[in-house]
Amino acid sequence: MRKILKVIYRELGLVKYSRTFIALALGLPVLAIVYFLLLFKTGVPNSLPIALVDLDDSNLSRQLIRLIDAVPSVSIAYMPKSTEEAEDMVRRGVADAIFIIPRDTEKNIYSTTPVTIPVFISGLNITKNGLIQRDLSTAIISFSTGIQVNTLMSQGLSEAEAYQAAMPVNFERHILFNPYSSYSYYLLPIFFPMMMLIFILLTTVVTFGSEFKNGTAPEWLSTAGGDIFYAFAGKALPYTVSFILLFTLADLVLFKFVGVPLNGNRTLIFISNILFVMAYQSLGVLIVSLSGNLRMSLSLGGGYSVFAFTLSGYTFPLMAMNPLLQVLSYIFPMTYYMRIFVDQAVRGAPAHDTVAQLLYFMIFIILPLPLLPRLKKMCTDAKYWGRM
Amino acid sequence: MEKRSARQRLREFFSIFRTEIKYIFSDSGVILIMFGAVIIYSTVYSFAYSTEVLRDVPVAVVNNDNTQESREFIRKLDATPNIDVAYAAPSLDEAKDLFLARKVYGIIVIPHDFAKDIYSGITTDVVIYADGSYLLIYKQVLNDLTNTVLYNNAQIKALRLMQKGAGMEQALAVSNPVIPGIQSTFNPYLGYGSFAMPAILILIIQQTLLIGIGMIGGTWREKNLYRKLIPEEREYLSALPILFGKTAAYFLSGAAVMLFVFGFQYKLFHFPMNGHFGDIAMFLLPYLLSVIFLGLAISSVLVRRENSIILILFTSIPLLMISGISVPREAMPEWLYELGKIIPSSNAINGFIRIQSAGATLREVFPEYMMLWILTGIYFLLAALEMRSLAHKVYVQE
Repeated sequence: MRKILKVIYRELGLVKYSRTFIALALGLPVLAIVYFLLLFKTGVPNSLPIALVDLDDSNLSRQLIRLIDAVPSVSIAYMPKSTEEAEDMVRRGVADAIFIIPRDTEKNIYSTTPVTIPVFISGLNITKNGLIQRDLSTAIISFSTGIQVNTLMSQGLSEAEAYQAAMPVNFERHILFNPYSSYSYYLLPIFFPMMMLIFILLTTVVTFGSEFKNGTAPEWLSTAGGDIFYAFAGKALPYTVSFILLFTLADLVLFKFVGVPLNGNRTLIFISNILFVMAYQSLGVLIVSLSGNLRMSLSLGGGYSVFAFTLSGYTFPLMAMNPLLQVLSYIFPMTYYMRIFVDQAVRGAPAHDTVAQLLYFMIFIILPLPLLPRLKKMCTDAKYWGRM
Repeated sequence: MEKRSARQRLREFFSIFRTEIKYIFSDSGVILIMFGAVIIYSTVYSFAYSTEVLRDVPVAVVNNDNTQESREFIRKLDATPNIDVAYAAPSLDEAKDLFLARKVYGIIVIPHDFAKDIYSGITTDVVIYADGSYLLIYKQVLNDLTNTVLYNNAQIKALRLMQKGAGMEQALAVSNPVIPGIQSTFNPYLGYGSFAMPAILILIIQQTLLIGIGMIGGTWREKNLYRKLIPEEREYLSALPILFGKTAAYFLSGAAVMLFVFGFQYKLFHFPMNGHFGDIAMFLLPYLLSVIFLGLAISSVLVRRENSIILILFTSIPLLMISGISVPREAMPEWLYELGKIIPSSNAINGFIRIQSAGATLREVFPEYMMLWILTGIYFLLAALEMRSLAHKVYVQE
């Protein structure tokens, strides 16, 4: 125990001398929290600009325009005279969709000829596309229902009867766990751990790798009384603590300020934060012990860390990916972390599902232990020192 | 200060260009990032998103009605491209268990009097529990359910009218007077890869180049090249030859990478290619230049190579966000989006996607194109000033 304390004390002393590093280590994650808070302040995007071409210019078309104007997610930003003009607006990126009310819309509706309302939504951004598509189609359908109700009422039905007749099957939508289909609820929880893992991994690589780069490895080992495990643990611990504190801060912001639902077990979330930090630290040590070269370790660590975002399957689901990639997703602690987060924070799933995921973290944590003898050899063999 | 001839400057330029190329290609860490990472990332990401769309999301159906009508409705749901009715759950509780066990990603409940209500002209409520914790899955399920309900309603109403003696055409028109003819343009199947990859590729090119430039910058300082490369007769290196020599080296590497990504990978993974070659090349020119100058400017500030790699990797995701791709610009504060334009990738992503996916011309992406040239100018000045002070510092120290 004493030996570990000595190494910790030594590490704290080392940190003092690298101010840039400290600024990065503490400043960046805090900045990241502030940045994401700002970025997601608005939550659900509203007033996506659309171009509306009214070729009919009738009472009924103006009625439809008023209805579209009332849709919160879009705003009629332009009313060009021709479809060509509207297309140019989409290519220039100032409008996200073209809504066309065809000639003779009113005439056709009154003469019971079905009218199709062409809507062209830019597919360049599928998130915006999804919102616009959902809301515009709802608006057109309710316009259509309104016309049916009017027709039925003119045939002598009461308003209530007319509605019932116009809508034989209705559906009641319950969005589980994310009632506003909000972006903050959805995307924020993955960004912070994602940035943290890049950071944890690289910080570990730098701090361990520097011992070899600067040739201070023998002194580090001797501080621990020649015991490589104590040297490893003592060096990693101060960072483990600071990363866990940052994670707790981020969770606080997420649950208290952003209002991400917390339906499950917070202890399990806390434990998963701790194990997540340790898993990525272990991976950092693993990379350094394997490559024995700071320069290469940084590139390898950086390369590995960034894949976690895509392969955690949070944004584009794993079930839609090639089976090869589904298997590959298991080598990233992030995959388990996001599952635990969704299960415990969002869904309130039973604890036993999560415990299994926590055990996967343990595998990553013990991964560098068999390599400790090699790390020790690197500490005593001068040929590993001074490499950049 | 001595006066230098153009020939001297040219010689200096070539010597720096050669040195830079040599250090790029003799440093395995740099090769791994500048070339290896680009190849690996662009391939793995493209491969991961190559299915483009999510189909057949498993859902559970709780059928409380169990009539021919309700079974027909479920069959229609199952026939949609995105929904796969994987389980018939006897109760909502059991469906919820399936959901928590991640066997299904949505629950649809058919009410008890589904068929009876339809026949008595009362609106019947089908209930959907869709999974909001994965938005893409949620969207697919809801989309197909909405369409099924609409289609089903139109059918029921038309049948009713026909029973009253209306002709089929008239019945259809009355029961569905206005039809939404919604189409998606430029990315008709709303593929995830076609949506995300152009932005990711543009960003990868920027970030790897920045890291590479930063790493070599560290090497220059550690090997004291600012001192060693000074020609015999002189006291210090002049700034512009250093800047142009380095720029030329990175320009060649960057152009090669872009050719690989936008020429080869794009074809391999069938990403939308609707732009003209000339427009694309003209647009990417200021992008590449502004990234290189930015890299040279920050590499003089970030002295140690580990700090530069940490900072740049760390900022990758925030930079992708601020371009307005994953997070729509309308969902973030306007000032933040505008501020993001000081980074080359933000402008390049928005312009490039419109050229290459929507077939826009250079004129139609003029604001982004102009901004990239402005950034090229600003970062050029910054980089030149810093190169100058670095070269002078060596001189003063001597």
